[in-house]
Amino acid sequence: MNVVVLYLLLVKATLTSFSGLASLPMVRNDFVVRRGALTDRQLNAAVAAGRISPGPLGIYVVSLGYLVDGVPGACAGWLAMITPAFLIIPMLRFLGTRAEHPRARAVARAVLFAGAGLMASAAVPLARDAITNPLSLAIFALSFVLIASARVDSLWVMLGAALMGLIAFQF
Amino acid sequence: MARPRLAAVTRLFLRVGVTVFGGGDPTIAILQREFYRREWLSPEKFAIAFGLARLTPGTNVLAFCAATGWYILGLRGALAAVLAITIPASVLVVWLTRAYDLTTRYPLAQSIANALLAAAVGTMIGAALLLVRTQSKPGRWIRPVTISAGAFLLAFVAKLTPLQVIGAAAMVGFFWKDS
Repeated sequence: MNVVVLYLLLVKATLTSFSGLASLPMVRNDFVVRRGALTDRQLNAAVAAGRISPGPLGIYVVSLGYLVDGVPGACAGWLAMITPAFLIIPMLRFLGTRAEHPRARAVARAVLFAGAGLMASAAVPLARDAITNPLSLAIFALSFVLIASARVDSLWVMLGAALMGLIAFQF
Repeated sequence: MARPRLAAVTRLFLRVGVTVFGGGDPTIAILQREFYRREWLSPEKFAIAFGLARLTPGTNVLAFCAATGWYILGLRGALAAVLAITIPASVLVVWLTRAYDLTTRYPLAQSIANALLAAAVGTMIGAALLLVRTQSKPGRWIRPVTISAGAFLLAFVAKLTPLQVIGAAAMVGFFWKDS
């Protein structure tokens, strides 16, 4: 498949979805059903690779691009993934000093607090997958305390967790 | 607010891009905490970036990175944030795609990935608590706690989408002013 066509198909999917994996139905329709460029098994592998790698879930389009057209395809996927992100800048410019109005600040703070609630609600289903034994429970609790105390750099929390996973494997 | 150098901004996004597992929510939680520690972004700007990112097509967390990068250092900050958070992770995902069958069968990689996911969950809940605690004015906790708990219930129990929850919070914020 031509790399430009690949980019246009992927950017169509990313521009018409509002979260990382929401583009999946359109991607499946274009690549598996209509064009036969991928099998369902390959699509599943792309999604799984996106899930086990760091970064956003939407990164699966890079994996998908790679499966369709190798490294140029991965580059097209990457570009399709990041293109919509920059649409936020005109919105921020439009807001400009309007955001300093007391009423706008009150709304912004309410959205900020709602963000905390949303973060906690998004953590619950992840916790069901992640906390499966005493070790993962200990890592969860330790990370929670260290992050909530605001004293420890998050990098050390992640490196510490990886080290605990490594040590647990040895025993 | 502090105005950091481009290299420092790039370094933070690069680091978060390769060390945070579990998708966009843990990434935003970690970034929120790091902005707070470094005093790079006011809570109001964080909230605007967070809310508008949900309205932006595509992967929300990347729009969030573009917005926060733009607030911190303008267009070059936005570019640095998006490139730094996606390029190393993209290289890694290509490698994982090639080695997919191996990684699913390799217990050591599974053990480390599981530990990182547990840490990401602890991080998300810790960051949520930190956010409410640090942004509440002394003695005035009813509004933050009510809005946060309400958002949690609307998302988790009522199954509203994040966009709907943010819309509801914005309405509440409009009529229930900060005292």
